[in-house]
Amino acid sequence: MQFGIFTVGDVTTDPTTGTTPTEHERIAATVAIARKAEEVGLDVFATGEHHNPPFVPSAPTTTLAYIAAQTERILLSTSTTLITTTDPVRIAEDYATLQHLSNGRIDLMMGRGNTGPVYPWFGKDIRDGIPLAIENYALLHQLWREDVVNWSGQFRTPLQGFTATPRPLDGIPPFVWHGSIRSPEIAEQAAYYGDGFFSNHIFWPASHTKQMVALYRRRFEHYGHGSADQAIVGLGGQVFMRKNSQDAVRDFRPYFDNAPVYGHGPSLEEFTSQTPLTVGSPQEVIERTLGFREYAGDYQRQLWLVDHAGLPLPTVLEQLDLLGEEVVPVLRKEFDALRPAHVPEAPTHTTLLAAASSSEPVKENAR
Amino acid sequence: MTTSHLAVITAGLTQPSSTRLLADRLTDAVVRSLRETNDEVVVEVVEVRDVAHDLTNHVLTGFASPELQVRLDAIAEADAVIVVTPIYAASFSGLFKMLIDVLPTDALRDTPVLLGATGGTARHSLAIEHALRPLFAHLGALVAPVGVFAASDDWGSADAGLLGERITRAGRSFAGLITGTSKTRLPDPFDEVTPFATLLQGSSRA
Repeated sequence: MQFGIFTVGDVTTDPTTGTTPTEHERIAATVAIARKAEEVGLDVFATGEHHNPPFVPSAPTTTLAYIAAQTERILLSTSTTLITTTDPVRIAEDYATLQHLSNGRIDLMMGRGNTGPVYPWFGKDIRDGIPLAIENYALLHQLWREDVVNWSGQFRTPLQGFTATPRPLDGIPPFVWHGSIRSPEIAEQAAYYGDGFFSNHIFWPASHTKQMVALYRRRFEHYGHGSADQAIVGLGGQVFMRKNSQDAVRDFRPYFDNAPVYGHGPSLEEFTSQTPLTVGSPQEVIERTLGFREYAGDYQRQLWLVDHAGLPLPTVLEQLDLLGEEVVPVLRKEFDALRPAHVPEAPTHTTLLAAASSSEPVKENAR
Repeated sequence: MTTSHLAVITAGLTQPSSTRLLADRLTDAVVRSLRETNDEVVVEVVEVRDVAHDLTNHVLTGFASPELQVRLDAIAEADAVIVVTPIYAASFSGLFKMLIDVLPTDALRDTPVLLGATGGTARHSLAIEHALRPLFAHLGALVAPVGVFAASDDWGSADAGLLGERITRAGRSFAGLITGTSKTRLPDPFDEVTPFATLLQGSSRA
């Protein structure tokens, strides 16, 4: 099982000090956080993509390539790549390049983006969100698997005899997850391709996650990629830890109360009971996270959000220490013990390459 | 015999509230009329005040608390809905509208809805027509043609009996909308004449 963190990349004033990092400081902090994640033994670092303030990660492959150069082992991913407003040709090129530069240490998570004003900046309309996600990904999927593509669709100019370069590393396209909070169409899309499905999970009650994951698993089996419990599932999570619970609640409350997404709304107590947010001791995080398995099944990837709402860098790095030292080693052991042998790990470049070379030249997903 | 599920949304703020009072009387009238035709009725009352904080949280976070969710489910699953809101600043109350805003899309489509409103003076009587009716038309509800507005006067004046009559009429008409019964024929005044003794009693209306 993979454990890691995902960042939204928000520039938010620290409500306890009134200090707001500059964009430069936030970008540097993102790199520091990714390096720390590798140092403490996490498996995945993922960055969001946004094209509006107060967010900095508008050019994720630039940041990820820089991080790739400074790390050796950690898998780099996105949370999410905007499949709606980004030209699939650019995604194919940017991420294939990143795949080469990182020696295959990447995958991607597709997302639609829910900020209405962003769509028209890229010539799109949020009401086309689902059709854009479906058509654009179909093209991206083809661009990575066919050397010469002839294509026409509804949302971009047709392609005649087009080759996306560079070709994917070793002829293996990066593994793709599809992220969604509540759209069954996206769970269906992930199932159709046999791709991974990531449930953001953090802002909504578990009942939604359960429904979405169950749908994805059922349809994954329907499309013949394996049994439902072999589908590739990822979950988000959100934690803040101190050695003891009371300190965690006391220290996190001002950040919670003023957070951009849910601040000035429900109380910390209401939100922790209704969503996966866990504010407490490492042991509480362990127990809560193991509980996810009860409604999502045996899953392959757990990512936490730890660096938002104005939390200062030293605090975030402390959180990573706690994750790496006290939480993840226990979770790794516990989850591994619970997982039946026929449930696979999340595919990586190494495993996909091994599978491709053992099963002969069929790189193309037959469909 | 069928069982109808009736949801009642009442958005009064005080305890007791005249809005709740009107909601209860409308509910009684509807239930009585439905039972005349042997229909069983299950009533679910949603006091909006009870979930005021949950509504704000829902608007901010995008999901309902368990307490709010059971109420949203009751409304979405109801066969018919009675709504009663106080009139503030010439329209439905903001809290009432928040609940309507977070109902699932199409929750009220093709659902019979009876409109009720309360206000300080009879000068707001048409708020049902200019504020509530367009809102529920937008939601695709089958809005009952007869709504009931109750002003402070209606509760206290000698004419208060007229409110009861309006409530009964609205209830009967709404029950007909729910069960799909055709309207009852008006009696032919030449067929059965009102006895003069009754006429002499004059204004003693129901």
